[in-house]
Amino acid sequence: MDKQLDLLQGTLDMLILKAVSLGPLHGYGVLLRIQQISKDRLEIQQGSLYPALYRLEHQGWITSEWGESDNNRRAKFYRLTAAGKRRLQTETEKWNRMADVIAGILGTKPEEV
Amino acid sequence: MTFWSRLRSWMNATLRRPRMESEMDAELRFHIETRAEDLVRSGVAQKEAMRRARLEFGAVERVKEEGREARGVNFLDELRRDFHYGARVLRKSPGFALVAVITLALGIGATTAIFSVVNAVLLRPLAIEDPNRVVFLEEYWQGSPGSISVGNFIDIKKQSSSYAEVSCSHNASFNLETRGIPERVDGEIATFNYFRTFGVQPIDGRVFTADEDTPGHTPVVVISERFWRTALHGDTAVIGKPIRINGLPTTVVGVMPKTFDPLLENSNLWIPAAFTPAQLADHDDHYLNAMARLKPGTAITQAQSELNVIAERLQKQFPLDDGDRSFRVRPLVTVLLGDQRLSLRMMLAAVGFLLLIACANIANLQLARSRTRQKEIAIRAALGASPNRIVRQLLAENVVLGLAGGAGGVLLAYWAVSWIVAHGPVEMPRLEESRIDASTLVFACFVALVSSFLFGLAPALRSASTRLNEVFKSASGIVSGSRDRVRSLLVVGEVALALVLMAGAGLLIRSALMVSHVDPGFDTTNVIVGRVGLPEAAYHDPTVAQHTFERIMTAAAALPGVESTAVVSRAPLAGGGSTNGLLAEGKELDLANLVNSQLQIVSTSYLSTARVPLRVGRDFTPQDTRERTLVAIVNETLARTMWPGADPIGKRFACCESGPKGRMDPVWHEVVGEVADVRTQGLDRVAQPAFYIPMAQMPAASWDWIGRTMDLVIRTRGGAVPVRDLQSTVASIAPEVPIYKLSSMQQKISSTLERSHFDTFLLAIFAGTALLLSSVGIYGVLSYMVAQRTRDIGIRVALGASQSQIVWGILGFGLRLTAIGVAIGLAAALAATRLLSSLLYGVRPSDAITFAAVSLILLAVALIASYLPARRAMRVDAIVALRYE
Repeated sequence: MDKQLDLLQGTLDMLILKAVSLGPLHGYGVLLRIQQISKDRLEIQQGSLYPALYRLEHQGWITSEWGESDNNRRAKFYRLTAAGKRRLQTETEKWNRMADVIAGILGTKPEEV
Repeated sequence: MTFWSRLRSWMNATLRRPRMESEMDAELRFHIETRAEDLVRSGVAQKEAMRRARLEFGAVERVKEEGREARGVNFLDELRRDFHYGARVLRKSPGFALVAVITLALGIGATTAIFSVVNAVLLRPLAIEDPNRVVFLEEYWQGSPGSISVGNFIDIKKQSSSYAEVSCSHNASFNLETRGIPERVDGEIATFNYFRTFGVQPIDGRVFTADEDTPGHTPVVVISERFWRTALHGDTAVIGKPIRINGLPTTVVGVMPKTFDPLLENSNLWIPAAFTPAQLADHDDHYLNAMARLKPGTAITQAQSELNVIAERLQKQFPLDDGDRSFRVRPLVTVLLGDQRLSLRMMLAAVGFLLLIACANIANLQLARSRTRQKEIAIRAALGASPNRIVRQLLAENVVLGLAGGAGGVLLAYWAVSWIVAHGPVEMPRLEESRIDASTLVFACFVALVSSFLFGLAPALRSASTRLNEVFKSASGIVSGSRDRVRSLLVVGEVALALVLMAGAGLLIRSALMVSHVDPGFDTTNVIVGRVGLPEAAYHDPTVAQHTFERIMTAAAALPGVESTAVVSRAPLAGGGSTNGLLAEGKELDLANLVNSQLQIVSTSYLSTARVPLRVGRDFTPQDTRERTLVAIVNETLARTMWPGADPIGKRFACCESGPKGRMDPVWHEVVGEVADVRTQGLDRVAQPAFYIPMAQMPAASWDWIGRTMDLVIRTRGGAVPVRDLQSTVASIAPEVPIYKLSSMQQKISSTLERSHFDTFLLAIFAGTALLLSSVGIYGVLSYMVAQRTRDIGIRVALGASQSQIVWGILGFGLRLTAIGVAIGLAAALAATRLLSSLLYGVRPSDAITFAAVSLILLAVALIASYLPARRAMRVDAIVALRYE
């Protein structure tokens, strides 16, 4: 699949939580990680990443501290908090249930109705 | 957890705003630059890489803005912007802003000034330990409270168990010579545990001991810090030094802090009471202030029921002295400040009304403005501002107004408080402590904010609920009538409040006028009065004391410009005085038959010098000596009370002393004259029964009652008599003895009226301001109505309406609003002025003349306020008005 998908409304937060759950990342790192995991199939507005990060931090799901990046520069690293971990879990479950339901609906054939 | 993290993040973002901004900058720069590096690595040229990285990232500023919003910073930002916007809007309409700020400053200033007085006089706790536990004991006899006798005090002290301390004192003044000239100093004579009752320690030395509080001990004195600083020049080695008090060297043992003034008497010194055995047994002379500290856990009601039991016991034990006497205990603070409450609360209510009127006026102005601003608000709403946001913005504008008015109000209050302290009644305790301090500032801020919500909320809500389509539909903006109704209601309310204030002020003014026409009962012009007290040590002998006063009178009468002189134990309006129970001849010796009457001991020249009119009988003569028949002159009230309907001349009554056979042996005084009632306690106080006895016939013991102190009364020929001449005349006859409280009778009269004149003056100012503000309100509503209905009026004129019809339409509306306001105000005033009854003299609180007068004044002012807009309506040119559309 060559064409990149636009992100569904409200899913960016979840993806960020997932990305930082795999290890502390700076903002740019979050972008790279999501692109890497999604094998470049998702289109993420780079700018929209930061308000999302601040929102998550404001809500206490993630926390940040300044550190050193791979290119030896000061960068702000984000890490998942315990509350964020629980949040990611419930969000994942909700998403899975929703995906099942939607898939079920979309997979319905005329004879099954 | 999340709440705290949110709060922390918000605090970080808000309080460390610059740091957050720079961190955000660094973070975003890092992102873009790292991206560019990656692009370079994948083969893009350096310059192009940076450009592409920026492009991919999008609008940095928008990201930052969203980031701020995500952190909740924007709320404050918006608030700041709202304030800026509000201030800008107000700057653009300076006329409105000025009127509103001045109106508010008047309201807030008056409220803050009165509050700071109330705070100083009523709210601030007394400067004693745990003031709530300190109580004041009084005797209660024939329906009125009074001081306690030494015997009763001692019995209460012995028989009660409610108190940790029971102490007493009485006011006295002393002759002192510390600065070369003899002067008179106010102080108290107190028991040794007086200081312990209030729980206050001396700043230097000690208080007196129980031993020093016994008769015959070498005299000691505790002085106040103020006295120490002024009279003794802050002498650091004062403890142990003697000062001459009443001619006796007295050792200073301690200095009390300047805050120590538990009875608010401005006492300079305290002398041990050292009651003699005879005094301790005396249940008949009532002159003590008794104070006690309740034991922890004892309620004042318990103390009262215990006193009731003691009173019953004493009534049986001393039927002649305590027959139907009871005791009452009240918190000290109530006794000291209770009198101030009524008038201060009245003032506070008055300024509260004033503030409400000011708020109503500004709300009215805002409502009028909101029409012209409808478009502006509609455009903001159309651009996506939520109703919430619009209300907040309009409120912010009002808060800006409120704070500006508050600042002006504090300035005004600052000036007003210093004026009140300088001109306020001397008798109001702690008044001089009034100032604009932290608590008053907090109060002013609070009032400013509350009032800005009061006058701002209604217009703001109304504006926010404006329907867009209605505004845009018609260019002229036909406004619904409901807004007019709100404005009319506000005016009605203003008028009603103003009427209540005016009724109160009117009653006080009328009362003051009544008082000024009262006949004081003697000729008050060209009379000078000063007190002279002879120290007991040198003037113990009654004949010496009497001769000294006679010589002083003769010497003073020889001064140039003096017509005649006299002495009297208490001159009219000099305050204080003593009362005696009189028994008419032929009545059973029983407490219930005694007539309480004021005693005046006078020289034979007194009644003629003061020009107290003699009704019947004769004046005293030099022949009325102790060896002849004891005589007395009574006033009309006493004659009427004792011998109703009968001629008092030749009647006899017993009083003042007992004969050789003990207390049951009456000493008779024969009435030789009846004189007019003299208003001795103040022009606004009804005269009490009073009688006069000549100094030459006074019982020897009565020199002790009056403390060998007499008022010298001097009638001049109209010119002034130099104070220095009087001082040197007295000192030439009685060395070291000062003449004090020297003033003309007119001055004494005005000082007794000072308090009520002050109340009247303030209330009249408030009422006047209220009248002005509410007439501005009426004017505003009507002008607005005329402006808004120009077209209607034009049509009516075009259809043939006469000018007078147009004018009466507007005037009628204004008068209708005023009349409704007056009606409501009259009802409210009838209820409110009843509270004033104790401040009124000769006027009933529901005085019809006053109520009619203030209603008429209000209607007349309303008529003028309505006439101006009506005249404008009259001049509406039909053609112009219609073409205008």
